[in-house]
Amino acid sequence: MALGRETWRLALKLIVRQPGRSALTMLGLAIGVGAFIAMVSFGEGARRSVVAQFEVLGTNLIKVQTAYPAVNPKAKPSIPIGDSEVRHIRREATTVAHVLAIARRSASVSWGGEQRPSYVNGVDPVYLGIHSWDVAAGGNFDAADMAESAKVCLLGKTNAKELFGDRDPLGQTVTLAGLMPCRVIGVLAEKGYSTNAADIDDIVLVPVTTYNTYLTDRPTYAYLEVEPLDKNLLDTARSEITDILRRAHGIEPGDPDDFSVSSPLEVIRAADRTARILGTLLAAIAAVSLLVGGIGIMNIQLVSVAERTEEIGVRAAIGASPNQILTQFLIEALILTMLGTLVGVTLGIGVASFVAQSMGWPRVISPSGVLFSAGFGIAVGVLFGYLPARRAALLDPIHALRRQ
Amino acid sequence: MPTPVIETLGLSKVYPGSVGGVPVLSSVDLTVEYGEVVALRGPSGSGKSTLLNILGCLDRPSRGRYVLGGADVSGLTREEQAWVRLHYIGFVFQSFHLLAHATALENVMLPLHYAGVPRVRSEDAARDLLARVGLSHRSEHFPAQLSGGERQRVAIARALTGRPPLLLADEPTGALDTKTGAEIMRLLLDLHTERGTSIILVTHDPTVAEYADRQIFLRDGRVVAGEEAHGGARA
Repeated sequence: MALGRETWRLALKLIVRQPGRSALTMLGLAIGVGAFIAMVSFGEGARRSVVAQFEVLGTNLIKVQTAYPAVNPKAKPSIPIGDSEVRHIRREATTVAHVLAIARRSASVSWGGEQRPSYVNGVDPVYLGIHSWDVAAGGNFDAADMAESAKVCLLGKTNAKELFGDRDPLGQTVTLAGLMPCRVIGVLAEKGYSTNAADIDDIVLVPVTTYNTYLTDRPTYAYLEVEPLDKNLLDTARSEITDILRRAHGIEPGDPDDFSVSSPLEVIRAADRTARILGTLLAAIAAVSLLVGGIGIMNIQLVSVAERTEEIGVRAAIGASPNQILTQFLIEALILTMLGTLVGVTLGIGVASFVAQSMGWPRVISPSGVLFSAGFGIAVGVLFGYLPARRAALLDPIHALRRQ
Repeated sequence: MPTPVIETLGLSKVYPGSVGGVPVLSSVDLTVEYGEVVALRGPSGSGKSTLLNILGCLDRPSRGRYVLGGADVSGLTREEQAWVRLHYIGFVFQSFHLLAHATALENVMLPLHYAGVPRVRSEDAARDLLARVGLSHRSEHFPAQLSGGERQRVAIARALTGRPPLLLADEPTGALDTKTGAEIMRLLLDLHTERGTSIILVTHDPTVAEYADRQIFLRDGRVVAGEEAHGGARA
């Protein structure tokens, strides 16, 4: 189609010869498309960042803690979670791989005259593996350390840095809570901040047996972490644990649990849902700006038809058919739309990358989002380009020529 | 006897108005032979422009027949009218009506573009015509960079690129000074002689009308005899 190509060429020439008007026409759509891509990217980036923060907690772990119901003098006091509960679950549960008891208290950590407040966790050696927490220097404690309640510990990054600075903490002896000396056998890798902005690295890990022997007078745990045999068994394992503990605590049917069984997955799901709603909202706002961009194209093309009445009349007099005039205006609108969309895509990706970088989010440009906004932008442009094009085609050449 | 290029029978045009409409043309019978130059004269409001629009297939008669080149074109659709204009009719206007954002060459190529002629061929044809009207050196200029006479030359070249048998010129010298106007009329007549193009010339100017083989006078939408028209014009 030589004529078709020629029409495109002429339309492009016209657009290039009026750069100001063309840029103005494209501007709205470019901003619309750009905003859409950026917004979708913000939404997705924020969502992933939130989810990633929760994933630090371990997604497929079930957390069992003591629950303290509303103050009620008649109610039985809650039974704290301790070794008995660990044994019950280990013995009776069929869907559980590991039960980890985690004891926790705040305690001072001191070395060489330096002292700082921190937290001590009593944990099982598999704790690190389950939380994908690496040891940066030295090594983990083992079953032998557990068996003899060895006075060994792992320092979190914050403690290692604050107490030792540039010196090597390995093999040094720190004092916990002012009463228990222990040898540093490892330094943990940096983990960052949790969702509630607590410094995860501000910690000392000791074997839970050591903790129970030296650091507490009551062997109760802050919480248990239970890993199901399979990720898909999460919900089954939760109800199984609930049943076991209700039985062990002698809770009558109808009475509330005196413990809570929760999973970070729920929290992640909730956060994910919230973030998705936010993302959809952003996309909806951006879709409106796309629409406004399309209306901008229509307005400028309408003004352009009015401005170019004489030109349209001349073309008609020369022998351009209404269809050819319609096509010409549609192609002009299409070219402007495509250029505008292209600028918008570039703009959107640029802004999204910049914001992602400065917010520390993952840079997420979804190809489907880009395709959608580009397609939507072009559709909007053509749709709104049609009305002015039709008006141009239907213009009466006599009146068009008379207006000067 | 050969078919005339234009033949109208009882051509009438009524614009919709308050009481039964406003008659602008009444029963115009007109014949123009191939190769004739006819001047269409008459005071403003006499229906000259309306007649020219109908003859140019820009407008349709309310009643009567218009036969162009042997075919009845009175009741064509807008698409068909456009086709007829493209292949049979060239227009030259008083105010040139060049496309401001197109060069002289592109303006001249335009009819061939709509006729679907490949660019290489239409560019050759357009350059030839520009050379013929003496504007080879101006082909890449935009209308704003050309003088009035030059613009009208471009317009004439554009009207003739499609080799139409009929050229309709609406006050072609109206916007030009006397000397340039005479040059343009000379050019039109030369092209008429070279190509055998029939020309209908609408003009107020008696000296311009003198160039024509024949003059047709319109008064109140009717064709009147030469003497009667002159008498009326003087009164």
